[in-house]
Amino acid sequence: MLDFSRTWLPFLYLYGVGGIAFIVGMILILRTKALNKEIAHHRIWLKVLYFGFGFYITLHAVFILLALGIS
Amino acid sequence: MDLAVGTNLDRFVIIVYFVIVMGFGAYFGKYSKTTSDYFFGGRRFSWWLITISIVATGIGSHSFVKYSTKAYQYGFSSTMTYMNDWFFMPLFMFGWLPIIYYTRVGSIPEYFEKRFNKTARSLATLMILVYMIGYIAIQFLTLATALYRIYGIPLMATVVIIAVATTIYMHFGGQTSVIFTDLFQGLILIFSGLLLFFLGLNYLADHTALGGLQAFWQNLTPDQKLPLAHFNRPPDFNFVGIFWQDGIAGSVGFLFLNQGLIMRFMAARSVNEGRKAAAFNVLLVLPISAIVVSNAGWIGRAIANAVPGALPAGMEGNDVFVAVTNVVSSPGVFGFIIAALCAALMSTADTLVNASSAIIVNDVYRPLAKKKTNDKEQLKIARFTSIGVKVIAVILVPFFNSFDSIYEAHGWFHSTFTPPLVVAVFLGIFWKRFTTPAVIATFVLGAALMILGQFFPELVKPFSHGIELRPGRGYYYIGALYNIAVCAGVGVIVSLFTDPEPKEKLKGLTLSDVNLLREIFKGSKPNDRLGEGVTVLWKLIDSEEDIVCFSKHEMDKMAAEVGDLVYVSDSRKWLGGLKSIHSVYGEPHEEEGIVYISEEQLGHGQFVKDKSLIAEKEM
Repeated sequence: MLDFSRTWLPFLYLYGVGGIAFIVGMILILRTKALNKEIAHHRIWLKVLYFGFGFYITLHAVFILLALGIS
Repeated sequence: MDLAVGTNLDRFVIIVYFVIVMGFGAYFGKYSKTTSDYFFGGRRFSWWLITISIVATGIGSHSFVKYSTKAYQYGFSSTMTYMNDWFFMPLFMFGWLPIIYYTRVGSIPEYFEKRFNKTARSLATLMILVYMIGYIAIQFLTLATALYRIYGIPLMATVVIIAVATTIYMHFGGQTSVIFTDLFQGLILIFSGLLLFFLGLNYLADHTALGGLQAFWQNLTPDQKLPLAHFNRPPDFNFVGIFWQDGIAGSVGFLFLNQGLIMRFMAARSVNEGRKAAAFNVLLVLPISAIVVSNAGWIGRAIANAVPGALPAGMEGNDVFVAVTNVVSSPGVFGFIIAALCAALMSTADTLVNASSAIIVNDVYRPLAKKKTNDKEQLKIARFTSIGVKVIAVILVPFFNSFDSIYEAHGWFHSTFTPPLVVAVFLGIFWKRFTTPAVIATFVLGAALMILGQFFPELVKPFSHGIELRPGRGYYYIGALYNIAVCAGVGVIVSLFTDPEPKEKLKGLTLSDVNLLREIFKGSKPNDRLGEGVTVLWKLIDSEEDIVCFSKHEMDKMAAEVGDLVYVSDSRKWLGGLKSIHSVYGEPHEEEGIVYISEEQLGHGQFVKDKSLIAEKEM
């Protein structure tokens, strides 16, 4: 049976715990200016980093919905 | 199961493939003149070349075999390990990558000596070598598992043949050979993985009343279509265990500690090119790779559901890839796809062998050598070291063969050997307060607590997330969480009870100094004025200095000043930086369209007469 532990719990755990790692990483590189928003190509990288996170959340969510037959 | 597969044509195709790759690799040996070339390819390659090379490194022969097995058993959730690497990209791209690139460390253990001390370096060397040589052994085992079914040669004899074949091109070529054979092999293995998927869909279309894609989708259950596994069941394949073992320990281990991968990024012509390679790899190439390595299992499952009896009865897990390939492809094509499996092995093994010999020369030989040897002698040692590494890996193969499956062998290996290194490197980079006694305690005491956890599973139970304990086998993947927790706990506690490191010692070695690294690398303030690239022809000048001289006009165009760093490459972009050099701007001259270079630079860049060069200011 496809219960919550089989469908959405892994998704929430992945982007909850993984999300914490991602957000902590972003805060660290922004605070230390390792990623410096004043530099033009760093601003592009900032967008790429956020896009990548959103891309994977969307990809996994869409596949779960497709598997469950929800369109 | 007696799985006799392949025809003489297939065997011939595989042998031809081996010969082509060995020749290809040996040809690029001419670009390895120094240990820097041998290990780092001269830090000159474009992002796209590094990306494809990373694909070939990341997809090992174990990938095809182990993911096909899990894909057959559990469906799309076999892709989990390829789709969880983005979380650490900020810290990798803007923390670790600039640190290792700009501090010019030759190896990860060298970073440990700079950041901590020699003891920390020695411990890191030992652990990283065990990690990499074990990884090579798993590669050998996987390919041998597939090939001995085809040629009927005993497993260990097959392992030895594979080890000898990879030695031939690696011995002469080093990193440049590795990168270029990986370019070739990376393309082959992506193509053949997708070809297998296409053939599988065709097979389903021919044997059912539906179209290929429709038959594929309809013959998988909703459970098999879910992209993530069940949260904590079964014990040998559950989401939370694999998340900690692969998503955390494995991802950090692969991105931050895999010397082979790090050397790829250090072969990039700049940090920004390395970032592009990393982003492109995780965003586009990894999802494609997930399909490439898993699809044999998905197709196999759909065939088993739609055409009962088409696959051999009682098929063992590790045989899924070969069995499915044999069913859906014709003679010759089967050989080509198995050749791709060889490509996966050779391209991963060559990287790891090259990386292991880099560590042995850099972290064992150089610090211990009583008399100073020149670069040529060290290059010779590096070449023979790579043979020694393979011999040890071959000896380790029977140990990994004792696991139930290659997936479990690989999972156990990751969760056991990476956590102390993961914790040490992470706290070292991101926490200035992490001290030298703490890193040594992390390695020694952390490892002791990890061993205790192997013998007393009740210690791991609080971390188990409800995963069932397997008698005699422990908790497996989730053990990675326990291992990370005890190592981090030891590191933090010991740090808080020991004196902080002096600020001067940490300069340029932690995340908080990353914005200073470019200045340290250049030796003066970086020149960030925007300029443009110029196209020039080269002329020789009698000089022993590492400088190149442009006309005043071209210097202005590039917004460059004397003493700035410059990258000069052949204007043919498709060479990916193979013919290029890094240098420093010298005093300008009046001859427009000409760059003056030395004899040594010409030899290093392998520039061709009358072929134009492109020059760009670096900083």
